[in-house]
Amino acid sequence: MVEEMNGAPMNKTGGFIIRLLALVVVAACLALFPFVITNRFYISLVNEMMIYGLLAMSLDVLLGYTGLLSFMHNAYLGIGAYIVGIFLIHVSPSSMWLALLVGVVGTTLIAVPVGWVQVRTGGLAFALLTLAFGMMFFTVVWKWYDLTGGDDGLMGVPHPDVQLGGWVLGNSGDPTVIYLMTLAILLICLVVTWRIIHSPFGSVLEAIRENEERASFVGINVRKYKLLGWVFACMLASISGGLYILYRGYIGPTTMHAFAGAAVLMMVLLGGMGTLWGPIVGAGIFILMQDYISTMTEHWELFVGLIVILLVLFLPRGFVGLGDLSRFKTGLFRFRKE
Amino acid sequence: MAQSVILHTEELHRHFGGVLATNAVNIEFKENRLKSIIGPNGAGKTTLINVITGRLPASSGAILFQGRNITDQPAHRLTRLGICRTFQITSIFMGLTVFENVRISKQMKRGGSFRVFSKKSSLKKVNAETWEILERLDLKDKAHVPSSNLAHGDQRLLEVAMALASEPKILFLDEPTAGMSPAETEHIAQLIKSLTEKISVALVEHDMDVVMSISDEISVLHQGTIIAEGPPEAIQSNQKVKEAYLGGA
Repeated sequence: MVEEMNGAPMNKTGGFIIRLLALVVVAACLALFPFVITNRFYISLVNEMMIYGLLAMSLDVLLGYTGLLSFMHNAYLGIGAYIVGIFLIHVSPSSMWLALLVGVVGTTLIAVPVGWVQVRTGGLAFALLTLAFGMMFFTVVWKWYDLTGGDDGLMGVPHPDVQLGGWVLGNSGDPTVIYLMTLAILLICLVVTWRIIHSPFGSVLEAIRENEERASFVGINVRKYKLLGWVFACMLASISGGLYILYRGYIGPTTMHAFAGAAVLMMVLLGGMGTLWGPIVGAGIFILMQDYISTMTEHWELFVGLIVILLVLFLPRGFVGLGDLSRFKTGLFRFRKE
Repeated sequence: MAQSVILHTEELHRHFGGVLATNAVNIEFKENRLKSIIGPNGAGKTTLINVITGRLPASSGAILFQGRNITDQPAHRLTRLGICRTFQITSIFMGLTVFENVRISKQMKRGGSFRVFSKKSSLKKVNAETWEILERLDLKDKAHVPSSNLAHGDQRLLEVAMALASEPKILFLDEPTAGMSPAETEHIAQLIKSLTEKISVALVEHDMDVVMSISDEISVLHQGTIIAEGPPEAIQSNQKVKEAYLGGA
Protein backbone atom coordinates (compact mmCIF):
# COMPACT_ATOMS: atom_id res chain seq x y z
CA MET A 1 0.00 0.00 0.00
CA VAL A 2 2.84 2.33 0.87
CA GLU A 3 4.43 1.40 -2.42
CA GLU A 4 1.20 2.20 -4.19
CA MET A 5 0.93 5.57 -2.51
CA ASN A 6 4.42 6.36 -3.66
CA GLY A 7 3.39 5.88 -7.21
CA ALA A 8 4.63 2.40 -7.98
CA PRO A 9 2.13 0.01 -9.56
CA MET A 10 0.77 -2.38 -6.98
CA ASN A 11 2.03 -5.70 -8.32
CA LYS A 12 5.60 -4.50 -8.48
CA THR A 13 6.93 -6.21 -5.34
CA GLY A 14 5.78 -9.64 -6.51
CA GLY A 15 7.31 -9.12 -9.93
CA PHE A 16 10.55 -8.02 -8.33
CA ILE A 17 10.96 -11.22 -6.32
CA ILE A 18 10.26 -13.40 -9.35
CA ARG A 19 12.72 -11.37 -11.41
CA LEU A 20 15.41 -11.61 -8.74
CA LEU A 21 14.85 -15.35 -8.42
CA ALA A 22 15.10 -15.80 -12.19
CA LEU A 23 18.34 -13.80 -12.22
CA VAL A 24 19.84 -15.93 -9.42
CA VAL A 25 18.88 -19.20 -11.15
CA VAL A 26 20.25 -18.10 -14.53
CA ALA A 27 23.44 -16.78 -12.91
CA ALA A 28 23.91 -20.05 -11.00
CA CYS A 29 23.43 -22.11 -14.17
CA LEU A 30 25.92 -19.94 -16.05
CA ALA A 31 28.41 -20.18 -13.17
CA LEU A 32 28.19 -24.00 -13.16
CA PHE A 33 28.36 -24.27 -16.95
CA PRO A 34 32.18 -24.43 -17.36
CA PHE A 35 32.39 -27.18 -14.72
CA VAL A 36 29.74 -29.32 -16.41
CA ILE A 37 30.70 -28.69 -20.04
CA THR A 38 34.47 -28.66 -19.86
CA ASN A 39 34.97 -28.29 -23.61
CA ARG A 40 37.02 -25.11 -24.08
CA PHE A 41 35.20 -24.28 -27.27
CA TYR A 42 31.78 -24.07 -25.64
CA ILE A 43 33.12 -22.15 -22.66
CA SER A 44 34.57 -19.56 -25.04
CA LEU A 45 31.35 -19.45 -27.03
CA VAL A 46 29.26 -18.61 -23.98
CA ASN A 47 31.94 -16.16 -22.86
CA GLU A 48 31.61 -14.33 -26.16
CA MET A 49 27.83 -14.26 -25.77
CA MET A 50 28.22 -12.60 -22.38
CA ILE A 51 30.70 -10.01 -23.67
CA TYR A 52 28.44 -9.09 -26.57
CA GLY A 53 25.51 -9.30 -24.16
CA LEU A 54 27.09 -6.56 -22.10
CA LEU A 55 27.66 -4.48 -25.25
CA ALA A 56 24.07 -5.02 -26.43
CA MET A 57 22.79 -4.10 -22.97
CA SER A 58 24.79 -0.87 -23.07
CA LEU A 59 23.28 -0.05 -26.48
CA ASP A 60 19.85 -0.68 -24.95
CA VAL A 61 20.50 2.14 -22.46
CA LEU A 62 20.68 4.43 -25.50
CA LEU A 63 18.11 2.84 -27.78
CA GLY A 64 15.54 1.49 -25.35
CA TYR A 65 15.72 4.10 -22.60
CA THR A 66 17.00 7.37 -24.08
CA GLY A 67 15.62 6.88 -27.58
CA LEU A 68 18.96 7.40 -29.32
CA LEU A 69 20.07 5.18 -32.17
CA SER A 70 23.76 4.33 -32.41
CA PHE A 71 24.76 2.41 -35.52
CA MET A 72 28.27 1.73 -34.26
CA HIS A 73 28.25 1.07 -30.57
CA ASN A 74 30.87 -1.61 -31.23
CA ALA A 75 33.33 1.27 -31.79
CA TYR A 76 33.39 1.79 -28.03
CA LEU A 77 33.95 -1.89 -27.36
CA GLY A 78 36.85 -1.59 -29.79
CA ILE A 79 38.28 1.57 -28.26
CA GLY A 80 38.08 0.05 -24.79
CA ALA A 81 39.71 -3.17 -25.99
CA TYR A 82 42.55 -1.40 -27.82
CA ILE A 83 43.30 0.84 -24.85
CA VAL A 84 43.39 -2.10 -22.43
CA GLY A 85 45.49 -4.15 -24.86
CA ILE A 86 47.99 -1.36 -25.55
CA PHE A 87 48.25 -0.67 -21.81
CA LEU A 88 49.00 -4.35 -21.10
CA ILE A 89 51.61 -4.52 -23.88
CA HIS A 90 53.42 -1.23 -23.36
CA VAL A 91 52.82 -0.14 -19.77
CA SER A 92 52.16 -2.93 -17.34
CA PRO A 93 51.54 -6.54 -18.40
CA SER A 94 50.32 -7.69 -14.99
CA SER A 95 47.98 -4.96 -13.71
CA MET A 96 44.64 -6.21 -14.98
CA TRP A 97 42.29 -4.07 -12.90
CA LEU A 98 44.34 -0.95 -13.58
CA ALA A 99 44.26 -1.77 -17.31
CA LEU A 100 40.45 -2.14 -17.23
CA LEU A 101 40.17 1.15 -15.37
CA VAL A 102 42.41 2.90 -17.88
CA GLY A 103 40.22 1.41 -20.64
CA VAL A 104 37.04 2.85 -19.13
CA VAL A 105 38.59 6.26 -18.38
CA GLY A 106 40.24 6.47 -21.81
CA THR A 107 37.03 5.54 -23.64
CA THR A 108 35.10 8.07 -21.57
CA LEU A 109 37.58 10.80 -22.52
CA ILE A 110 36.90 10.01 -26.17
CA ALA A 111 33.14 9.55 -25.75
CA VAL A 112 32.61 12.93 -24.05
CA PRO A 113 33.65 15.22 -26.96
CA VAL A 114 32.04 12.90 -29.52
CA GLY A 115 28.83 12.89 -27.50
CA TRP A 116 29.02 16.66 -27.07
CA VAL A 117 28.81 17.02 -30.84
CA GLN A 118 26.21 14.28 -31.32
CA VAL A 119 23.66 15.48 -28.74
CA ARG A 120 23.27 18.71 -30.65
CA THR A 121 21.13 16.60 -32.97
CA GLY A 122 18.49 13.95 -32.54
CA GLY A 123 16.82 11.15 -34.49
CA LEU A 124 18.34 10.25 -37.82
CA ALA A 125 21.03 12.95 -37.68
CA PHE A 126 22.25 11.55 -34.37
CA ALA A 127 22.36 8.04 -35.84
CA LEU A 128 24.31 9.23 -38.88
CA LEU A 129 26.82 11.01 -36.67
CA THR A 130 27.43 7.80 -34.71
CA LEU A 131 28.16 6.14 -38.04
CA ALA A 132 30.51 8.92 -39.14
CA PHE A 133 32.46 8.96 -35.88
CA GLY A 134 32.49 5.17 -35.75
CA MET A 135 33.98 4.82 -39.21
CA MET A 136 36.55 7.49 -38.36
CA PHE A 137 37.65 5.44 -35.36
CA PHE A 138 37.70 2.32 -37.51
CA THR A 139 39.98 4.02 -40.05
CA VAL A 140 42.35 5.29 -37.36
CA VAL A 141 42.68 1.81 -35.88
CA TRP A 142 43.02 0.23 -39.30
CA LYS A 143 45.75 2.56 -40.52
CA TRP A 144 47.79 3.36 -37.41
CA TYR A 145 50.16 0.37 -37.70
CA ASP A 146 52.66 1.46 -35.05
CA LEU A 147 50.09 1.64 -32.30
CA THR A 148 47.30 -0.77 -33.24
CA GLY A 149 48.98 -3.22 -35.61
CA GLY A 150 46.75 -1.95 -38.44
CA ASP A 151 44.87 -4.63 -40.36
CA ASP A 152 46.92 -7.36 -38.65
CA GLY A 153 45.24 -6.38 -35.42
CA LEU A 154 46.70 -5.98 -31.96
CA MET A 155 48.66 -9.15 -31.27
CA GLY A 156 50.58 -10.56 -28.35
CA VAL A 157 48.48 -9.03 -25.62
CA PRO A 158 49.74 -10.59 -22.37
CA HIS A 159 47.37 -12.47 -20.08
CA PRO A 160 47.63 -11.00 -16.59
CA ASP A 161 46.63 -12.88 -13.44
CA VAL A 162 43.21 -12.15 -12.02
CA GLN A 163 43.87 -10.84 -8.52
CA LEU A 164 41.32 -9.85 -5.94
CA GLY A 165 42.35 -8.42 -2.58
CA GLY A 166 45.80 -10.02 -2.72
CA TRP A 167 44.46 -13.42 -3.83
CA VAL A 168 45.36 -14.77 -7.23
CA LEU A 169 42.20 -16.33 -8.61
CA GLY A 170 43.86 -17.65 -11.75
CA ASN A 171 45.20 -16.47 -15.07
CA SER A 172 43.00 -14.58 -17.51
CA GLY A 173 44.32 -16.85 -20.25
CA ASP A 174 42.47 -19.75 -18.65
CA PRO A 175 39.06 -19.97 -20.36
CA THR A 176 37.25 -20.90 -17.15
CA VAL A 177 38.83 -18.06 -15.16
CA ILE A 178 38.04 -15.37 -17.72
CA TYR A 179 34.58 -16.90 -18.18
CA LEU A 180 33.74 -16.58 -14.50
CA MET A 181 35.18 -13.08 -14.36
CA THR A 182 33.10 -12.03 -17.37
CA LEU A 183 29.99 -13.50 -15.77
CA ALA A 184 30.63 -11.65 -12.51
CA ILE A 185 31.22 -8.32 -14.23
CA LEU A 186 28.20 -8.79 -16.51
CA LEU A 187 26.00 -9.41 -13.47
CA ILE A 188 27.37 -6.39 -11.63
CA CYS A 189 26.85 -4.19 -14.70
CA LEU A 190 23.31 -5.52 -15.18
CA VAL A 191 22.29 -4.85 -11.57
CA VAL A 192 23.95 -1.40 -11.49
CA THR A 193 22.38 -0.42 -14.84
CA TRP A 194 19.00 -1.73 -13.67
CA ARG A 195 19.21 0.50 -10.62
CA ILE A 196 20.26 3.53 -12.65
CA ILE A 197 17.52 3.04 -15.23
CA HIS A 198 14.84 2.84 -12.52
CA SER A 199 16.20 5.82 -10.59
CA PRO A 200 15.01 9.43 -10.85
CA PHE A 201 17.89 9.89 -13.29
CA GLY A 202 16.62 7.02 -15.46
CA SER A 203 13.13 8.49 -15.52
CA VAL A 204 14.59 11.66 -17.04
CA LEU A 205 16.10 9.57 -19.85
CA GLU A 206 12.72 7.89 -20.42
CA ALA A 207 10.99 11.26 -20.66
CA ILE A 208 13.49 12.26 -23.37
CA ARG A 209 12.80 9.01 -25.22
CA GLU A 210 9.04 9.61 -25.08
CA ASN A 211 8.97 13.24 -26.18
CA GLU A 212 12.06 15.38 -26.47
CA GLU A 213 10.21 18.66 -26.84
CA ARG A 214 7.89 18.07 -23.90
CA ALA A 215 10.93 17.00 -21.88
CA SER A 216 12.56 20.38 -22.36
CA PHE A 217 9.27 22.09 -21.42
CA VAL A 218 9.07 20.28 -18.09
CA GLY A 219 12.52 21.68 -17.35
CA ILE A 220 14.86 18.96 -18.60
CA ASN A 221 18.13 20.09 -20.14
CA VAL A 222 17.79 17.56 -22.93
CA ARG A 223 21.32 17.88 -24.31
CA LYS A 224 22.90 17.46 -20.90
CA TYR A 225 20.96 14.31 -20.06
CA LYS A 226 21.44 12.84 -23.52
CA LEU A 227 25.18 13.36 -23.10
CA LEU A 228 25.12 11.68 -19.68
CA GLY A 229 23.17 8.73 -21.10
CA TRP A 230 25.59 8.49 -24.01
CA VAL A 231 28.70 8.57 -21.81
CA PHE A 232 27.24 5.97 -19.47
CA ALA A 233 26.48 3.66 -22.42
CA CYS A 234 30.02 4.12 -23.78
CA MET A 235 31.54 3.34 -20.38
CA LEU A 236 29.61 0.08 -20.24
CA ALA A 237 30.68 -0.71 -23.80
CA SER A 238 34.32 -0.11 -22.89
CA ILE A 239 34.03 -2.64 -20.04
CA SER A 240 32.86 -5.21 -22.59
CA GLY A 241 35.90 -4.19 -24.66
CA GLY A 242 38.27 -4.82 -21.74
CA LEU A 243 36.76 -8.26 -21.23
CA TYR A 244 37.00 -8.93 -24.96
CA ILE A 245 40.74 -8.32 -25.13
CA LEU A 246 41.40 -10.28 -21.93
CA TYR A 247 39.45 -13.24 -23.27
CA ARG A 248 40.88 -13.23 -26.79
CA GLY A 249 44.34 -11.74 -26.29
CA TYR A 250 43.80 -10.23 -29.73
CA ILE A 251 41.60 -7.66 -31.48
CA GLY A 252 41.38 -6.77 -35.17
CA PRO A 253 39.95 -3.63 -36.76
CA THR A 254 36.95 -5.47 -38.25
CA THR A 255 35.51 -5.67 -34.73
CA MET A 256 35.05 -1.91 -35.09
CA HIS A 257 33.52 -1.96 -38.56
CA ALA A 258 29.96 -0.81 -39.30
CA PHE A 259 29.01 -4.43 -40.15
CA ALA A 260 29.79 -5.45 -36.60
CA GLY A 261 27.82 -2.43 -35.41
CA ALA A 262 24.76 -3.61 -37.31
CA ALA A 263 25.13 -7.00 -35.62
CA VAL A 264 24.97 -5.37 -32.18
CA LEU A 265 21.85 -3.51 -33.23
CA MET A 266 20.29 -6.80 -34.35
CA MET A 267 21.11 -8.36 -30.98
CA VAL A 268 19.19 -5.59 -29.23
CA LEU A 269 16.21 -5.87 -31.58
CA LEU A 270 16.21 -9.68 -31.47
CA GLY A 271 16.22 -9.71 -27.69
CA GLY A 272 13.80 -6.85 -27.20
CA MET A 273 14.84 -3.31 -26.45
CA GLY A 274 13.95 -1.40 -23.35
CA THR A 275 14.39 -4.37 -21.01
CA LEU A 276 18.20 -4.60 -20.44
CA TRP A 277 18.09 -8.40 -20.11
CA GLY A 278 16.41 -8.87 -23.50
CA PRO A 279 19.44 -7.64 -25.49
CA ILE A 280 21.71 -9.96 -23.46
CA VAL A 281 19.52 -12.89 -24.53
CA GLY A 282 19.49 -11.43 -28.05
CA ALA A 283 23.29 -11.45 -28.14
CA GLY A 284 23.23 -15.10 -27.06
CA ILE A 285 20.76 -16.05 -29.77
CA PHE A 286 22.63 -14.11 -32.44
CA ILE A 287 26.03 -15.61 -31.65
CA LEU A 288 24.56 -19.10 -31.35
CA MET A 289 22.85 -18.73 -34.74
CA GLN A 290 25.98 -17.35 -36.30
CA ASP A 291 28.08 -20.18 -34.88
CA TYR A 292 25.65 -22.97 -35.68
CA ILE A 293 24.76 -21.91 -39.22
CA SER A 294 28.36 -21.13 -40.14
CA THR A 295 29.29 -24.79 -39.49
CA MET A 296 26.84 -25.77 -42.25
CA THR A 297 27.37 -23.10 -44.88
CA GLU A 298 29.83 -20.33 -45.50
CA HIS A 299 26.95 -18.11 -46.58
CA TRP A 300 25.72 -17.97 -43.00
CA GLU A 301 24.92 -14.23 -43.17
CA LEU A 302 22.18 -15.03 -45.67
CA PHE A 303 20.40 -17.30 -43.24
CA VAL A 304 20.97 -15.11 -40.22
CA GLY A 305 19.41 -12.30 -42.25
CA LEU A 306 16.41 -14.48 -43.10
CA ILE A 307 15.88 -15.44 -39.47
CA VAL A 308 16.14 -11.81 -38.41
CA ILE A 309 13.50 -10.83 -40.98
CA LEU A 310 11.15 -13.54 -39.71
CA LEU A 311 11.70 -12.54 -36.11
CA VAL A 312 11.10 -8.87 -36.84
CA LEU A 313 7.87 -9.74 -38.67
CA PHE A 314 6.47 -12.13 -36.10
CA LEU A 315 8.09 -10.96 -32.88
CA PRO A 316 8.35 -7.19 -33.34
CA ARG A 317 9.16 -6.71 -29.67
CA GLY A 318 11.92 -9.30 -29.89
CA PHE A 319 12.46 -12.35 -27.73
CA VAL A 320 10.87 -10.68 -24.69
CA GLY A 321 7.67 -10.43 -26.73
CA LEU A 322 7.29 -14.24 -26.88
CA GLY A 323 4.64 -13.87 -24.17
CA ASP A 324 2.61 -11.66 -26.51
CA LEU A 325 2.11 -14.55 -28.89
CA SER A 326 0.30 -16.65 -26.30
CA ARG A 327 -1.70 -13.63 -25.13
CA PHE A 328 -2.63 -12.97 -28.73
CA LYS A 329 -3.97 -16.52 -29.11
CA THR A 330 -6.04 -16.49 -25.93
CA GLY A 331 -7.35 -13.10 -27.00
CA LEU A 332 -8.55 -14.58 -30.28
CA PHE A 333 -10.09 -17.49 -28.46
CA ARG A 334 -12.02 -15.24 -26.11
CA PHE A 335 -13.21 -13.17 -29.00
CA ARG A 336 -14.68 -16.26 -30.66
CA LYS A 337 -16.44 -17.39 -27.51
CA GLU A 338 -18.21 -14.06 -27.31
CA MET B 1 -4.60 48.57 -12.45
CA ALA B 2 -2.59 48.00 -9.32
CA GLN B 3 -1.17 44.67 -10.42
CA SER B 4 2.45 44.67 -11.39
CA VAL B 5 3.61 43.37 -14.74
CA ILE B 6 5.21 39.92 -14.55
CA LEU B 7 6.21 39.53 -18.19
CA HIS B 8 6.28 41.89 -21.12
CA THR B 9 7.76 42.13 -24.59
CA GLU B 10 9.43 45.06 -26.31
CA GLU B 11 9.11 45.42 -30.08
CA LEU B 12 9.14 41.64 -30.49
CA HIS B 13 9.58 40.42 -34.07
CA ARG B 14 9.63 36.99 -35.61
CA HIS B 15 9.71 36.38 -39.31
CA PHE B 16 9.67 33.23 -41.40
CA GLY B 17 11.47 34.13 -44.61
CA GLY B 18 9.64 37.24 -45.75
CA VAL B 19 6.56 36.66 -43.61
CA LEU B 20 6.33 38.68 -40.41
CA ALA B 21 4.45 36.36 -38.07
CA THR B 22 5.12 38.56 -35.06
CA ASN B 23 5.40 42.24 -35.90
CA ALA B 24 6.57 44.75 -33.29
CA VAL B 25 4.53 43.21 -30.50
CA ASN B 26 4.45 44.98 -27.14
CA ILE B 27 2.33 42.92 -24.78
CA GLU B 28 2.10 42.90 -21.01
CA PHE B 29 1.00 40.12 -18.66
CA LYS B 30 0.04 41.17 -15.17
CA GLU B 31 0.20 39.16 -11.97
CA ASN B 32 -2.92 37.13 -11.11
CA ARG B 33 -4.62 38.16 -14.32
CA LEU B 34 -5.98 36.07 -17.15
CA LYS B 35 -5.12 37.57 -20.49
CA SER B 36 -6.47 36.02 -23.65
CA ILE B 37 -4.84 36.39 -27.01
CA ILE B 38 -7.34 36.10 -29.83
CA GLY B 39 -7.33 36.76 -33.53
CA PRO B 40 -8.32 35.17 -36.83
CA ASN B 41 -6.49 32.10 -38.14
CA GLY B 42 -2.93 32.88 -39.10
CA ALA B 43 -2.82 35.99 -36.92
CA GLY B 44 0.38 34.75 -35.26
CA LYS B 45 -0.98 33.79 -31.85
CA THR B 46 0.87 30.51 -31.56
CA THR B 47 4.05 32.03 -32.97
CA LEU B 48 3.92 34.74 -30.31
CA ILE B 49 3.60 32.15 -27.57
CA ASN B 50 6.33 30.01 -29.15
CA VAL B 51 8.74 32.92 -29.13
CA ILE B 52 7.93 33.99 -25.57
CA THR B 53 8.24 30.45 -24.17
CA GLY B 54 11.51 29.71 -25.96
CA ARG B 55 10.26 27.26 -28.57
CA LEU B 56 11.34 29.62 -31.33
CA PRO B 57 14.10 32.25 -31.22
CA ALA B 58 13.02 35.85 -31.66
CA SER B 59 14.17 37.67 -34.81
CA SER B 60 14.50 40.92 -32.87
CA GLY B 61 13.13 42.65 -29.82
CA ALA B 62 13.16 41.59 -26.20
CA ILE B 63 11.18 39.57 -23.67
CA LEU B 64 11.41 40.63 -20.02
CA PHE B 65 10.31 38.47 -17.10
CA GLN B 66 10.17 40.20 -13.71
CA GLY B 67 12.42 42.87 -15.13
CA ARG B 68 15.01 40.42 -16.39
CA ASN B 69 15.81 39.92 -20.06
CA ILE B 70 15.01 36.30 -20.98
CA THR B 71 15.07 36.60 -24.78
CA ASP B 72 16.32 33.40 -26.46
CA GLN B 73 16.81 31.48 -23.23
CA PRO B 74 16.39 27.71 -23.73
CA ALA B 75 13.00 26.24 -22.85
CA HIS B 76 14.21 24.21 -19.88
CA ARG B 77 15.63 27.30 -18.21
CA LEU B 78 12.42 29.28 -18.77
CA THR B 79 10.46 26.41 -17.23
CA ARG B 80 12.70 26.57 -14.16
CA LEU B 81 12.08 30.33 -13.93
CA GLY B 82 8.35 29.68 -13.91
CA ILE B 83 7.32 30.26 -17.53
CA CYS B 84 5.40 27.14 -18.52
CA ARG B 85 3.08 26.15 -21.32
CA THR B 86 0.84 23.61 -22.98
CA PHE B 87 0.72 22.95 -26.71
CA GLN B 88 -1.94 23.33 -29.34
CA ILE B 89 -1.33 19.70 -30.33
CA THR B 90 -1.27 17.62 -27.15
CA SER B 91 2.30 17.00 -26.07
CA ILE B 92 2.65 14.45 -23.28
CA PHE B 93 4.82 11.39 -22.61
CA MET B 94 2.58 8.85 -24.35
CA GLY B 95 4.43 5.74 -23.23
CA LEU B 96 4.39 6.68 -19.54
CA THR B 97 1.58 6.48 -17.01
CA VAL B 98 -0.45 9.53 -16.02
CA PHE B 99 1.28 9.54 -12.65
CA GLU B 100 4.76 9.36 -14.20
CA ASN B 101 3.94 12.20 -16.62
CA VAL B 102 3.22 14.53 -13.72
CA ARG B 103 5.85 13.03 -11.42
CA ILE B 104 8.73 13.69 -13.83
CA SER B 105 7.59 17.28 -14.18
CA LYS B 106 7.51 17.61 -10.39
CA GLN B 107 10.89 15.92 -10.07
CA MET B 108 12.46 18.50 -12.36
CA LYS B 109 11.02 21.23 -10.14
CA ARG B 110 12.00 19.67 -6.81
CA GLY B 111 15.35 18.17 -7.80
CA GLY B 112 16.74 14.69 -7.22
CA SER B 113 17.39 13.82 -10.86
CA PHE B 114 20.97 12.94 -10.08
CA ARG B 115 20.08 10.26 -7.58
CA VAL B 116 21.26 7.42 -9.75
CA PHE B 117 21.01 4.55 -7.29
CA SER B 118 17.70 5.16 -5.54
CA LYS B 119 14.29 4.16 -6.83
CA LYS B 120 12.31 6.82 -8.60
CA SER B 121 9.49 6.21 -6.12
CA SER B 122 11.83 7.23 -3.29
CA LEU B 123 11.34 10.99 -3.79
CA LYS B 124 8.61 11.29 -1.14
CA LYS B 125 7.88 14.97 -1.53
CA VAL B 126 7.68 14.68 -5.31
CA ASN B 127 5.21 11.78 -5.00
CA ALA B 128 3.03 13.58 -2.48
CA GLU B 129 2.84 16.74 -4.55
CA THR B 130 2.12 14.70 -7.69
CA TRP B 131 -0.88 13.11 -5.97
CA GLU B 132 -2.08 16.55 -4.91
CA ILE B 133 -2.13 17.76 -8.50
CA LEU B 134 -3.81 14.61 -9.80
CA GLU B 135 -6.44 14.97 -7.08
CA ARG B 136 -7.05 18.60 -7.97
CA LEU B 137 -7.53 17.86 -11.67
CA ASP B 138 -9.63 14.71 -11.13
CA LEU B 139 -7.03 12.47 -12.68
CA LYS B 140 -6.29 10.48 -9.52
CA ASP B 141 -8.33 7.43 -10.54
CA LYS B 142 -6.41 7.21 -13.81
CA ALA B 143 -2.98 7.63 -12.22
CA HIS B 144 -1.62 4.26 -13.35
CA VAL B 145 -3.20 4.25 -16.80
CA PRO B 146 -0.75 4.68 -19.70
CA SER B 147 -1.40 8.22 -20.89
CA SER B 148 -1.80 7.00 -24.48
CA ASN B 149 -4.99 5.21 -23.32
CA LEU B 150 -6.62 8.38 -22.01
CA ALA B 151 -9.50 10.05 -23.80
CA HIS B 152 -8.57 13.21 -25.69
CA GLY B 153 -10.07 15.53 -23.08
CA ASP B 154 -8.16 13.83 -20.27
CA GLN B 155 -4.92 14.07 -22.25
CA ARG B 156 -5.44 17.84 -22.57
CA LEU B 157 -6.08 17.97 -18.85
CA LEU B 158 -2.97 15.90 -18.15
CA GLU B 159 -0.88 18.41 -20.06
CA VAL B 160 -2.22 21.17 -17.84
CA ALA B 161 -1.40 19.01 -14.81
CA MET B 162 2.17 18.61 -16.06
CA ALA B 163 2.52 22.35 -16.53
CA LEU B 164 1.12 23.00 -13.04
CA ALA B 165 3.59 20.51 -11.57
CA SER B 166 6.37 22.82 -12.73
CA GLU B 167 4.84 25.49 -10.46
CA PRO B 168 4.58 28.23 -13.09
CA LYS B 169 4.45 31.90 -12.25
CA ILE B 170 2.91 32.46 -15.67
CA LEU B 171 1.21 29.73 -17.64
CA PHE B 172 0.66 29.89 -21.40
CA LEU B 173 -2.22 27.73 -22.63
CA ASP B 174 -2.48 27.19 -26.39
CA GLU B 175 -6.09 26.27 -27.16
CA PRO B 176 -6.64 24.06 -24.12
CA THR B 177 -10.26 23.33 -25.04
CA ALA B 178 -9.55 22.20 -28.62
CA GLY B 179 -11.53 19.03 -29.34
CA MET B 180 -13.19 18.94 -25.92
CA SER B 181 -16.85 18.27 -25.23
CA PRO B 182 -18.97 21.17 -23.89
CA ALA B 183 -18.91 19.65 -20.39
CA GLU B 184 -15.13 19.23 -20.47
CA THR B 185 -14.76 22.78 -21.83
CA GLU B 186 -16.81 24.15 -18.94
CA HIS B 187 -14.71 22.18 -16.44
CA ILE B 188 -11.37 23.34 -17.83
CA ALA B 189 -12.57 26.94 -18.17
CA GLN B 190 -13.43 27.03 -14.47
CA LEU B 191 -10.10 25.44 -13.67
CA ILE B 192 -8.21 28.04 -15.74
CA LYS B 193 -10.07 30.87 -14.06
CA SER B 194 -9.26 29.47 -10.62
CA LEU B 195 -5.55 29.40 -11.44
CA THR B 196 -5.40 33.20 -11.42
CA GLU B 197 -5.73 33.17 -7.64
CA LYS B 198 -2.07 32.24 -7.57
CA ILE B 199 -0.52 32.80 -11.00
CA SER B 200 -0.84 34.67 -14.27
CA VAL B 201 -2.43 32.93 -17.19
CA ALA B 202 -2.10 33.68 -20.90
CA LEU B 203 -4.71 31.96 -22.99
CA VAL B 204 -4.94 31.43 -26.73
CA GLU B 205 -8.47 30.29 -27.44
CA HIS B 206 -10.96 30.03 -30.29
CA ASP B 207 -14.04 29.43 -28.14
CA MET B 208 -15.33 32.99 -27.76
CA ASP B 209 -17.79 32.05 -25.01
CA VAL B 210 -14.88 30.85 -22.90
CA VAL B 211 -12.74 33.86 -23.75
CA MET B 212 -15.43 36.43 -23.00
CA SER B 213 -16.55 34.80 -19.76
CA ILE B 214 -13.21 34.19 -18.03
CA SER B 215 -10.73 36.77 -19.39
CA ASP B 216 -9.67 39.81 -17.41
CA GLU B 217 -8.15 41.36 -20.50
CA ILE B 218 -7.95 40.49 -24.16
CA SER B 219 -5.34 41.28 -26.78
CA VAL B 220 -6.38 40.96 -30.38
CA LEU B 221 -3.74 39.94 -32.86
CA HIS B 222 -4.10 40.47 -36.59
CA GLN B 223 -1.36 39.82 -39.14
CA GLY B 224 1.24 39.65 -36.38
CA THR B 225 0.31 42.97 -34.80
CA ILE B 226 -1.82 43.82 -31.79
CA ILE B 227 -4.78 45.82 -33.10
CA ALA B 228 -6.79 46.12 -29.89
CA GLU B 229 -6.46 45.56 -26.17
CA GLY B 230 -8.88 45.85 -23.30
CA PRO B 231 -11.51 44.17 -21.16
CA PRO B 232 -13.95 41.74 -22.89
CA GLU B 233 -16.80 44.28 -23.17
CA ALA B 234 -14.60 46.81 -24.94
CA ILE B 235 -13.25 44.18 -27.35
CA GLN B 236 -16.72 42.95 -28.24
CA SER B 237 -17.75 46.39 -29.43
CA ASN B 238 -14.44 47.30 -31.08
CA GLN B 239 -14.86 48.14 -34.76
CA LYS B 240 -11.31 47.17 -35.81
CA VAL B 241 -11.75 43.74 -34.25
CA LYS B 242 -14.99 43.13 -36.09
CA GLU B 243 -13.35 44.05 -39.38
CA ALA B 244 -10.38 41.74 -38.75
CA TYR B 245 -12.68 38.81 -38.03
CA LEU B 246 -14.88 39.49 -41.02
CA GLY B 247 -11.88 39.57 -43.33
CA GLY B 248 -12.13 43.26 -44.09
CA ALA B 249 -9.04 45.41 -44.01
